[in-house]
Amino acid sequence: MEDAEFDDILDDWFIESLKTYKDLHVYQLEHPTQVIEWTSEKTVCVAGYSLSKNEILELRLPLKLFADENKGLCAERDFKVAHGGFTDGPVRRLRHIPGTRCVVTNDGLSSDLQVWDLGGDDSDVIRRTGSIAGRRNVSERGSRIAARLSSPPQILHGAQSSDIQLTELTSGRTLYKLETDSADPLSSLQFVTDAVFLAGCSNGSVCVADTRTSAAPQLSPPPASSGDSVLWWADASVGPHPSSCRVIRLSSSGQAVVSDLRKLGGGAVCQAQLDVQTRCCNLDHVRVSWAPMLDDCISVSGFGGVVQIYTTCGWSMELQERQPLFQHRGHVVSSQQTDDSVPVFTTAHIWHPERPRTLLSAASDGSVHVWDWVDPEQSAAGSPIPRT
Amino acid sequence: MPEINVTPLGAGQDVGRSCILVSIGGKNIMLDCGMHMGYNDDRRFPDFSYITQNGRLTDFLDCVIISHFHLDHCGALPYMSEMVGYDGPIYMTHPTKAICPILLEDFRKITVDKKGETNFFTSQMIKDCMKKVVPLNLHQTVQVDDELEIKAYYAGHVLGAAMVHIKVGSESVVYTVSRNKHAATAWIDKCRPDILISESTYATTIRDSKRCRERDFLKKVHESIERGGKVLIPVFALGRAQELCILLETFWERMNLKAPIYFSTGLTEKANHYYKLFITWTNQKIRKTFVQRNMFEFKHIKAFDRSYADNPGPMLIGKFKRQCSVIMPGYCVQGTIGHKILNGQRKLEMEGRATLDVKLQVEYMSFSAHADAKGIMQLIRMAEPRNMLLVHGEAVKMEFLKGKIEQEFNCYMPANGETATITTNPSVPVDISLSLLKREMALGGSLPDPKKPRTMHGTLIMKENSLKLVSSEQALKELGLNEHQLRFTCRVQLQDPHSDPDTLHRIYTHLKSVLKGYTIQHLPDGTVMVESIVIKVSSSAEDSNAKVLLLSWSYQDEDLGSFLSTLLKKGLPSGLC
Repeated sequence: MEDAEFDDILDDWFIESLKTYKDLHVYQLEHPTQVIEWTSEKTVCVAGYSLSKNEILELRLPLKLFADENKGLCAERDFKVAHGGFTDGPVRRLRHIPGTRCVVTNDGLSSDLQVWDLGGDDSDVIRRTGSIAGRRNVSERGSRIAARLSSPPQILHGAQSSDIQLTELTSGRTLYKLETDSADPLSSLQFVTDAVFLAGCSNGSVCVADTRTSAAPQLSPPPASSGDSVLWWADASVGPHPSSCRVIRLSSSGQAVVSDLRKLGGGAVCQAQLDVQTRCCNLDHVRVSWAPMLDDCISVSGFGGVVQIYTTCGWSMELQERQPLFQHRGHVVSSQQTDDSVPVFTTAHIWHPERPRTLLSAASDGSVHVWDWVDPEQSAAGSPIPRT
Repeated sequence: MPEINVTPLGAGQDVGRSCILVSIGGKNIMLDCGMHMGYNDDRRFPDFSYITQNGRLTDFLDCVIISHFHLDHCGALPYMSEMVGYDGPIYMTHPTKAICPILLEDFRKITVDKKGETNFFTSQMIKDCMKKVVPLNLHQTVQVDDELEIKAYYAGHVLGAAMVHIKVGSESVVYTVSRNKHAATAWIDKCRPDILISESTYATTIRDSKRCRERDFLKKVHESIERGGKVLIPVFALGRAQELCILLETFWERMNLKAPIYFSTGLTEKANHYYKLFITWTNQKIRKTFVQRNMFEFKHIKAFDRSYADNPGPMLIGKFKRQCSVIMPGYCVQGTIGHKILNGQRKLEMEGRATLDVKLQVEYMSFSAHADAKGIMQLIRMAEPRNMLLVHGEAVKMEFLKGKIEQEFNCYMPANGETATITTNPSVPVDISLSLLKREMALGGSLPDPKKPRTMHGTLIMKENSLKLVSSEQALKELGLNEHQLRFTCRVQLQDPHSDPDTLHRIYTHLKSVLKGYTIQHLPDGTVMVESIVIKVSSSAEDSNAKVLLLSWSYQDEDLGSFLSTLLKKGLPSGLC
């Protein structure tokens, strides 16, 4: 692609991008990643997922992205590999422990976790420092991992709802175990407050529990329309704003259901049929995420090579078809894949925690994009408003 | 064991003043001779005292090779050749030779004239130094002397940058600085040098795509034009000017834009001239388009006349107001106006004390082409070196890369002044005569195997550049010499009252008991033979009780012969019958 004549480069997407993106950066990793995780304000961790040896990399984002005032004077637009390490197996989940230089990984083959030290200024090597045993030896989908700031550092993990436990990182002591009868495989796990967490199961049910008590978790069954072979993913919106305590559930057929986190038993608040255009038969990489700095805004990836942004404004209880507000087609258009028989699909995406419209996305061809999209709806009504 | 020694004098676990000494097959080569741009004292020069404490370097170096014109690779060259002293050949490509003196002179001017430093090379020294330069053509083998040969390959990076292949006998070293995507790769495929020396600086970088850089460039240009402003793009780099012109022209067509684009004529002729001179050094894309059309025969791009500056309306290049922009597509050397503007200065002091306010928008865009993490691994995997050596990077930031390379290759990372000794295993091909081969095969045993070497005997004939292994008889025949046999003789005195035959028999019995496993014969002609050693007994003329033993052996049995004579000197044990 680099050797193409200029006429080819100035294709429609390229010309469009002058208006549709504020910033756009396209990178090519040596190996594709399934994880993108913030480890600090300016660094992310990525890792390979091939079955044998892989690399974990901590990448520093280009300075140009953060130079607000003198942006023009900063030419630096490359990723810097700040630290790197080697793993013996695939990395399918990676979580940073806030307040530390540690990350915890899972290979998706068992429920055991590996603990890594990202390193400081004196060394650029990421080293494995230990492991945490999970509750089952073989797990089809591996464990989900969640963490929040705590002292001493703790990690919440589990492969299915009956396995979820909170482990102290250094001692390995189990501090909490979720008591539940159901043993459904998890598709998401996250903290909503320091003590309260949400576990989303792939059958569509979600449960909310408090690690300080042994009280039974709050359960919300799968949305009514869910069929047998339908898979679900969930994301909870966290923050002090009252409207931000919501859960969104997305199904493999593109149905999105929003519920109030505080009133899980009360049923859905609104829903929509998203235009996900499934191109993948393997849906291991689906992600749905609330935008941290925009109201009523979600992102979806993993159904094909595109990352879609939707607004939940105007959704009702009727299952209406909704079109995305914005689509990032960069991975499809700039694909470096040599084998055309397997289409490129997105493997991960993540929002920047502070810049309202900046996202990072990764795809199966090893590409990683950093993009800041322009809201096409200029009118006040219906366009996501950045939070102050 | 044969070995190659590599010692960085600069850029060993450090960035700046690249200067690497390689000792290969008895030859000493200096790779690059750079200046460290971060220091103002002697630390900016490589430490040549490592080569010799006093005296000129000519006697210690067979040649110097410069990879490209950046000052951290050639900045110390006049200092080394004229102030420390070196009169031997300095190799570099033609474009490097053309551009080096310009940069060196600029640098000298700023350091001496503007900063007032004294211990620095002069303009004359730069000229004298360049007289020692022997220019290299791409892909041309240069015999530095009978044994040392070098060859330059296109490296991309900057104009004239080269990767160098150094060969002495069957040992070789390849030196490369930051190779980029456009570098010719076919030759390096499986060239398998003993050592590949490469910079590691950019190995930790993952580059943003060229497409995105171009997008940003066009976006800025388009935004300025839409606002009604003018855009100035100062371009120094020779390839860049044309690339940007083509990009703008294509964009203008696509977007149906009407604003005029002007190109400063002063640059035109000089640029055209250099272009024609170094056309083979640019990448394929530029060469193709240059051939298709003259650089300045564009539809939307015209030659610039100063009077146009006052024309109303948007244009690219012109007089500046607030809505105007300057886009800098390349690095600006310290001390220049460009450098000051890029550092955010908004007030400029001009000659004659006048000050100018910088009111326009400044955009710095980097289009420089250098390798990144993926590029370096690709290069290493293609070349398949026996050993890898990293320079030009901070130790702390090279550990991960070293670990990564070590999964597949040996990797060294010496610091300045530290020597990495790399043992080589050169295979020297030798022809073997058919008769010798047949004889060896007839001895039986397993077939020759690289993992199980077999010792064989023969005579090595070295004639001109060919090596031949033949049997000794054939060698003697070819040389017209006779074969001589050597036999050693030794006399041993022995006290023994028996008759000669009896003594001989006693010797025979004694040896049979001591030398088990050897062929010992008592022959009817009155001798004892141990392997090829003949033992005879005769009576001593002076003493009737003494015997004189005569031992004789051929040189192949020297060890056994010496052993026997020592043994027999001790006398025979009494209990023998």
